[in-house]
Amino acid sequence: MDISSLIDSLHPLEVKVLSTFGTDPSVVLPTEQLAQTSGLEPSQLSMAVEWLLAKSLLTVDTETVTPIVSLTKIGELYFEQYAPIERVLSAARDAATTGKRLTIQDIQAREGLEPAEVSGAIGRLKKEGALLIVQGGCLESTGRPSQTAEAIRGLLQQLHGTTRELQAFPEAHRQVIQDHAVKRGNAKEPFRIDDRVARSLKLSAAGIEAAQQLSKQGVLEEVSQLTPELLKDGSWRTKRFRKYTISLRAPRIAPGKKHPYREFLDTVKTKLVSMGFQEMRGPLVETEFWNMDALFMPQFHPARDIHDVYFVKEPKQAASIAEPFLSRVAQAHQDGGSTGSTGWNYSFDMERARRLVLRSQGTAVSAHTLAAQPAVPGKYFSIARCFRYDQVDATHATDFFQVEGIVLGEDINFRTLLGLLNLFAREVAQAKEVKFLPAYFPFTEPSVELHVRHPKLGWMELGGAGLFRSEVTLPLGVTVPVIAWGLGLDRMAMVALGIHDIRELFTDSLDLIRSTKGAF
Amino acid sequence: MPTITIFKQDLEGLLGGPGEARQSITIEQLEESLMLVKGELKGQNPDSGELRIELQDSNRPDLWCCEGIARQIRVKRLGSLAPYKFLTAKPKVLKRLNVAPGMEKVRPFVAACTAIGYRVTQEGLAQLIQTQEKLAEMFGRKRKTVSIGIYRLAAIEFPVAYDLVKPDEVSFTPLGMDTVMTLGEMLLVHPKGLEFGGILAGQDRLPVLRDAKQQPLSFPPIINSREVGEVKVGDEALFVEVTGTDLPMVVLTLNIFAANLADRGAAIEPIDVRYPYNTSLGKAVVTPQDLKKSQKLPVSTIEQALGQTLGAKEVAKALTAYGYEVKTSGQHVTVTLPPYRQDLMHAMDVVEDVAISRGYADFLPVMPSDFTVGGLSRIEEVSDRVRALMVGMGFQEIISNILGSPQDLRDAMRLEGTEWGQLVEVDNVMSQNFSALRQWMLPSLLRVEAASNRAFYPHRLFEAGEVAKLDLTQPLGSRTVMVLGGMIAHADAHFSEVHSCLDTLFYYVNQTYSLEPIQHPSFLAGRVGAIVSEGKQIGVIGELHPEVLERWQISVPAVAFEIELTHLAERP
Repeated sequence: MDISSLIDSLHPLEVKVLSTFGTDPSVVLPTEQLAQTSGLEPSQLSMAVEWLLAKSLLTVDTETVTPIVSLTKIGELYFEQYAPIERVLSAARDAATTGKRLTIQDIQAREGLEPAEVSGAIGRLKKEGALLIVQGGCLESTGRPSQTAEAIRGLLQQLHGTTRELQAFPEAHRQVIQDHAVKRGNAKEPFRIDDRVARSLKLSAAGIEAAQQLSKQGVLEEVSQLTPELLKDGSWRTKRFRKYTISLRAPRIAPGKKHPYREFLDTVKTKLVSMGFQEMRGPLVETEFWNMDALFMPQFHPARDIHDVYFVKEPKQAASIAEPFLSRVAQAHQDGGSTGSTGWNYSFDMERARRLVLRSQGTAVSAHTLAAQPAVPGKYFSIARCFRYDQVDATHATDFFQVEGIVLGEDINFRTLLGLLNLFAREVAQAKEVKFLPAYFPFTEPSVELHVRHPKLGWMELGGAGLFRSEVTLPLGVTVPVIAWGLGLDRMAMVALGIHDIRELFTDSLDLIRSTKGAF
Repeated sequence: MPTITIFKQDLEGLLGGPGEARQSITIEQLEESLMLVKGELKGQNPDSGELRIELQDSNRPDLWCCEGIARQIRVKRLGSLAPYKFLTAKPKVLKRLNVAPGMEKVRPFVAACTAIGYRVTQEGLAQLIQTQEKLAEMFGRKRKTVSIGIYRLAAIEFPVAYDLVKPDEVSFTPLGMDTVMTLGEMLLVHPKGLEFGGILAGQDRLPVLRDAKQQPLSFPPIINSREVGEVKVGDEALFVEVTGTDLPMVVLTLNIFAANLADRGAAIEPIDVRYPYNTSLGKAVVTPQDLKKSQKLPVSTIEQALGQTLGAKEVAKALTAYGYEVKTSGQHVTVTLPPYRQDLMHAMDVVEDVAISRGYADFLPVMPSDFTVGGLSRIEEVSDRVRALMVGMGFQEIISNILGSPQDLRDAMRLEGTEWGQLVEVDNVMSQNFSALRQWMLPSLLRVEAASNRAFYPHRLFEAGEVAKLDLTQPLGSRTVMVLGGMIAHADAHFSEVHSCLDTLFYYVNQTYSLEPIQHPSFLAGRVGAIVSEGKQIGVIGELHPEVLERWQISVPAVAFEIELTHLAERP
């Protein structure tokens, strides 16, 4: 790292310490003086010094080690309650005055001491001639004083609540302290000896260079944040702004966002409008009449039974079906009426026509539009929620969108139908290659399936279409030819959203919705 | 839309036609040719030659079998259909089938024929059974209008009687069983009796087919006798009958079987069915019978519909190559369907067959040239506007199912027995999870919140979409309303946060509103208000009741609002 990028990476505390040294290479500062001059807290200072040492900007000039004595928790306890050696000696002296026999066990029990504490104290008192062990393991005071016991008492008093350098004690006391200091393997001692390190520090060669550069930049203080105050008084000019590590990962935010599937449908919607289509809407609850009868699906059609369509529980039937549509449609089913058809040749059930269902196909919306005097020429579309009695799995949903519509006009015929499908292929699926296959829908004739070569999916079915049968259009009052078309966009949407399960289009996982990018 | 299984080698044999050499076909050629039958190859096993084909046209039962597919392709290759001789040349003496009086009230119609000289193969037998099942199931509406029986002819003595008997009067061993039982017992214990017995519900006399020796052949439409009604590989003489409730459908079904067996090389001999009552075809009906469904139409009708000038000759050529019989007179054609079809309801049905026969690729696409102005509905415009505003305020849009459960929509919202809890429910419930239309949006938002406690907070969700409000004053018993629901959930979520959003929203849609305190069980009392605009309650806003959050197992506070966009859309 060159010196200027080293400087850029310095923490404000480090800068503070460096500037305390100035640029004079001969300056040597003991840590206490450094603390005073820089005005830093001891913890901040030692942090900054360690960083600078690690970066080799500072070096240690001299280092002195001073042993310091203090009391341990046990030491403070002994100060309050006397040390074991004092308590054993005092017990022995009491026994001598009363003439009672005193065993080691008695002392242990009376003073509540550990066996190791008692035996340690007895050993030392015996050695000093202050205590004798006589016949029967009894202790006898000799009346002589114990230097150790006295020294410990004095030391406990001197060190209570404070610390002192070891060297400040006379030789004999130093020995007692060392004998009774906490060591590895013996933590239960009253004294502890710690090394206090006193350092003098000076700048290294690199440190001098850094300090010179810092003083040359004239930067006195580094700040981490530009504040309104800095701007107001112009003092930002004398500040240095700490550089950030911009390669770190950015914190996450959750933006407001459209749902990716809705966004996909919005695109489709926009394209359809741009092609001249007018939006139409219809109710979620429909009559069998508009959902099926008007579309010339005979009432015995297999797709109309309870295993394909959801029926409404209450009310079961619509109040009425608008005339003249009901009679005309009924006639078309029975014998064709005036549609030029032979009809399905069965007896049409007017009651059944009023039965309420959940809309099962978007074509129901088109049927309403046909009956509402649509514009000729006219183009209409709807993105309608539909419901099917289906077991829900990866490819079936009970509740889904259908993109459907109609085109009315004098010039509508089989070839303009193909032309419209070509346009959809190009505009909606960006497909250049198309295939038209014969298809079957109860309400169109001729019927076509549109297959396209999708840039990602290869050949796929994009939609179905056809010319509405006269049995559909004439009873609803439309006399021009009408294209009915529908697009199957779920597979395209799933590819665009990168999912493989149709249920994920309506996922309840916010994480998934937030993380999906969408493809447009 | 039936899906059938056929075998490639069987198809190739049939492509040649009766008595002709087999014609091979590649898979690519087959896929191309399937356009003629609205078929799609769904799967194949190159080792066994098995092909699975889906047929789309529910009005063309003749195509739901190997023979029918082969026939349509063959006719196209040859340019016309070779006439079926059994429809014109009849022997002097015909076998008889006599219908019992009273049958008109039970299962009025029957058609039958014999087929001799085709030695039944493994593949042929599989096709016979499959065709019988698919036609009875899908064309015959689960045997109600049409059912089919096939028998070994050798064991049958004519005339055959289509009789009505008491349930315990006749007994035989049905297919699939080892013991003799009466018709009544078959209805009670035989799997087919249980499945199809409903067709004969309420009848005190049941139909039975018996031969001249009083030997039972079958109990239509339930089950055949095991003695004579089990065709085996190697049989060379068959008796085929169709019973049902619709005479043209019954005759058509028999025609299809007769054509299929004739295509396999059998000689078909018609049977003379005698009724004690009148039918649309008289009292003596010889079957199979060509019903010659025909129509006369101007060539211009076809040309206009297709958008292409063809001329009578080209039209006739296309239709003939599709199996029709065509007579041209000036600018008109009279077209007659082949005997195995009756699906001619309207001139447009002929138009489509012209297009299919010529191939859709033969028609050059033309763009519709009419100019029209596109646009969105007013409600969609309003919805798009508020969606953009919600996104701008940092809300994530969601989309939910409109079908939900009363538990989620009502009970978990503490709305049992309240006006807010009224639902449009499904009658034929498949799963409780999808048994009612949502009447408001908040449960949809809570559903996402409940599933997303691991997603980092805050959560700001919205959905604009349709709900159904039960309203018995409406013609449909309900109203479909576009609503907007928004919700905020995080540790410190509270009323004023969501109130600010609502306020902003109203500002930018240029409408005014006020909040009026109400009681609403889904929200904390004193922290809920009705959103009132131009004197109408159009929504609600508040802090979700802790019990609601508990029922959804949501562990952070949530505040929400919901407004009916329909009201905003109605204003100028």
